[in-house]
Amino acid sequence: MGVVEVIRHDVVIVGGGGAGLRAAIAAVEADPKITIALVSKVYPMRSHTVSAEGGAAAVARPDDSIEMHGYDTVKGSDFLGDQDVIQYFVEEAPKELTRLEHWGCPWSRNEDGTVATRAFGGMTTKRTWFAADKVGFHMLHTLFQHSLRFERIVRYDEHFVSKLLIENGAVRGVAALDIRTGNVRVFIAPAVILTTGGAGKIFPFTTNGTIKTGDGMALAYRTGVPLKDMEFVQYHPTGLPGTGILITEAARGEGGYLLNREGERFLTTRDYGVGQKAELGPRDMISRAIIQEVEAGRGIEGPYGEYVHLDLRHVGADKINQRLPFVRELAKTYVGVDPVEQPIPIRPVVHYMMGGVDTNMDGATLLPGLFAAGETACVSLNGANRLGSNSLTECLVFGARAGQAAVKVARGAGAGNEAVLRRQGEEEQARLDALRGRRKGGERMSVLRNAMNAAMERGCGVYRDQNGMRATVQEIAQVKGRYADLGLSDASRVFNTELVQALELGNMLDVAEAVAHAALARKESRGAHSCRDYKTRDDQNFLHHSLVYFGAAGPRLDKKAATLGCWVPEERKY
Amino acid sequence: MSETETKTFVVTRFDPDRHAEPTTQSYEVPVRSDWKVLDALNYIKDEIDPTLSHRWSCRMAVCGSCGMNVNGQPKLTCKDSLAQYGDSVRVEPLANFPVIRDLVVELEGFLEKFKQVKPWIIRAKEKAVTEGTYSQSPEELEAFRQFSMCINCMLCYAACPVVANEPDFLGPAAIAIGHRYNIDSRDEGAHERNQVFRGEGTVFSCSYANECSEVCPKHVDPAAAINQAKFMAVLDWAQSLVLPRGGEEK
Amino acid sequence: MSLAHPDAMRSTRPEPTRTAPPFRPDYTTPRMRRYLLFDATGFLYLLVGFVVLRAIWALSSGSEAWAALLRDFQNPLYVIFHALCFVSVIFVGVRFFRLFPKAQPPRVGPLKPPPGPVIFALLYTVWIGVTIVFAAILAGVWP
Repeated sequence: MGVVEVIRHDVVIVGGGGAGLRAAIAAVEADPKITIALVSKVYPMRSHTVSAEGGAAAVARPDDSIEMHGYDTVKGSDFLGDQDVIQYFVEEAPKELTRLEHWGCPWSRNEDGTVATRAFGGMTTKRTWFAADKVGFHMLHTLFQHSLRFERIVRYDEHFVSKLLIENGAVRGVAALDIRTGNVRVFIAPAVILTTGGAGKIFPFTTNGTIKTGDGMALAYRTGVPLKDMEFVQYHPTGLPGTGILITEAARGEGGYLLNREGERFLTTRDYGVGQKAELGPRDMISRAIIQEVEAGRGIEGPYGEYVHLDLRHVGADKINQRLPFVRELAKTYVGVDPVEQPIPIRPVVHYMMGGVDTNMDGATLLPGLFAAGETACVSLNGANRLGSNSLTECLVFGARAGQAAVKVARGAGAGNEAVLRRQGEEEQARLDALRGRRKGGERMSVLRNAMNAAMERGCGVYRDQNGMRATVQEIAQVKGRYADLGLSDASRVFNTELVQALELGNMLDVAEAVAHAALARKESRGAHSCRDYKTRDDQNFLHHSLVYFGAAGPRLDKKAATLGCWVPEERKY
Repeated sequence: MSETETKTFVVTRFDPDRHAEPTTQSYEVPVRSDWKVLDALNYIKDEIDPTLSHRWSCRMAVCGSCGMNVNGQPKLTCKDSLAQYGDSVRVEPLANFPVIRDLVVELEGFLEKFKQVKPWIIRAKEKAVTEGTYSQSPEELEAFRQFSMCINCMLCYAACPVVANEPDFLGPAAIAIGHRYNIDSRDEGAHERNQVFRGEGTVFSCSYANECSEVCPKHVDPAAAINQAKFMAVLDWAQSLVLPRGGEEK
Repeated sequence: MSLAHPDAMRSTRPEPTRTAPPFRPDYTTPRMRRYLLFDATGFLYLLVGFVVLRAIWALSSGSEAWAALLRDFQNPLYVIFHALCFVSVIFVGVRFFRLFPKAQPPRVGPLKPPPGPVIFALLYTVWIGVTIVFAAILAGVWP
């Protein structure tokens, strides 16, 4: 066994995207003496926060109110969101976005110098702050550049955290593969925050980049922390066919129409529950509407399956260039369509996981010392369906809160037994060394990945049914079995991306298992989970969060009550 | 339906534990007409040779991971169409950067230069969150907006002949981001940054090749930023002669 | 393999693994060749500098020395040299002028630069105007 390097910090943050960077900044500001390890498998500016386009929501206008934002979010969540969490969120949202503006974020402006807002799905008024149509890019780069001011945030870029280190029932650090050298490094800290994003890559068609493999979720899950509400997977209505590249909801916010094969604006001519809001209805309803149109034979055939049209021609070149320049560029580059002249082909694609690591409002999990925030966590802010532009703000609000809470834990904690933790790190080094370039396996990575993707697409699509979900549960278990026999070819130590992919695949299979099991157990339709066998919402039996616990013989399911509040569940109609 | 044809990819390979210096390896890839270069590289990794290492993530030209030299030109491989190339395509790591492995280059040098220009808002006194946002007109935003679009893909560094010859030169992206903050109406740190601009990494090393702006996939136009920065750095120097305590903000 | 400076984009921290030296950009594209030519004209201006020094010395040494200088300028080599300089000044001037508008900062205090076409008009007017004035003076036509 080799000697692993041991590095001590006060807090370890895994993942350097919107939530991770915000947590790091909050942590160093909370205590002038502590140091933070920001451990990310990619350089922070590559984090998938960068691809978000539309905007971030917070009350800004005088005709808006905290209560309205709260109500919209609760209703959008199909009444499964925890109302105490939502209350805190809508109060903090304007402060966080203002803080980001102070740090240099180039929010788009009104003529009078105030921050501009745009309309977004499921929001009763304009409260989405935006930066042209590249809000995630601007937010991430602002956070990253601001974080460079702090010498006490120490970055360990291109380090893949493959194991949580536990001592006496508490998390005391992480073991991370230094992708550059192939060596495992042990980071000892009394508090660890998981901010690794979601897991869209378990599906074949997703807006997500290749790095969204649910690493933090899997780490927590395997250590005994339950994953909450995993069945709720958001399908963004407007992704490009084939690549799945995101075309922002803001395109509809600026007036875009959705048209079927007959050129009909089907959200207004047929009843899909969105009422007057039409294209600005919540995402789950719009995605369902599009699938129903396609199933009724009114979709348009294409090389990558059927799609419908997003028509921006009437919005005009000026407004498109001013407010949707990136949309124009994406459509031209990836589907060869200029939205000024032609409608854009789109279809629903997986975009966001409402579910994640079960945490309280502080981001704390049931495992002492372990926190999670952002898309990785399920606080739960978004319940069964997330409103667009809430998640970027979520990263800021709960990233900050988790950072502050982690510092409190770090201050009170003891030093940790270095020998015990080092030995765990050495075991991890041995495990990875054995895995690297393991030729004797018979299974191929791309084959297993495709099998997992196909199973998830079949069983956990926009519409699900019990038979399909049952089959998916079995298929995922089968692929997991085959994964144990994975063959690897690259024996190099330096920058071995095949090894990283193998670890990511393992994480994805664990997350996929949780999603499939949770979906099968929820015998109702709520928010993004639409079950053909149980078409209505059942508040009597299912107004609760689902929990999935990892088990060697298969997952164990449980439930957790949703925190109700002043907003009483009602029929969700717009 | 996109048709398939076969193209040959000549790809740089380098493993420091095995090779004294980089070599190349050829792969025959069945490509679809709507593919980008990255699709071919991923096909190679998934179906032909899993030992090929390359960086990529978003595949929509916004994360900046996948910069490489294709047929001698720095490109974002997720955005670069294969259709424009003939039967043989050469894929190399980004020029001007030390090569870690295959198509993966060392980025720490860039991050050091980036940090030197202090890419954050510098103010004598920060505003409290309770006081709300700074007022900034659409015009003031437009002044620096273009320079804030940099995704740190480093194609500009790979293209720049000065970066190739002068290791101290700050380089296009770093200067562009420093300049972006200098002309942001909310910032008061121009004097500090201009000192960096006149320092070791001096902006005056730029000799107007304009290659950076030619290759930039986000139309940031770093050449414009660098040359604007030269002018403002001189003004700042002149101002500091007159006001020796170190000039006021612009 | 053509390499750049061995320290190009090198980090100050010690290398965790051995890297291969940086590849250098492609200098053979038409665009790059124009740039290299642009930079190379600097050598011509160096030579012009020596000619100017000689001319100044000739001026201060009296009309005979000056006449000798003007006779030398009739030499075909000098004519070719001056023609090359003329062409290169136009080449560099046009290239530089094309860059000039985007090199203007958005604001200096209350002052904003005029729009691109106005800048072009000003630059070319002054350039051509000065050229005409000097040509007239040297040809003895004016004043």
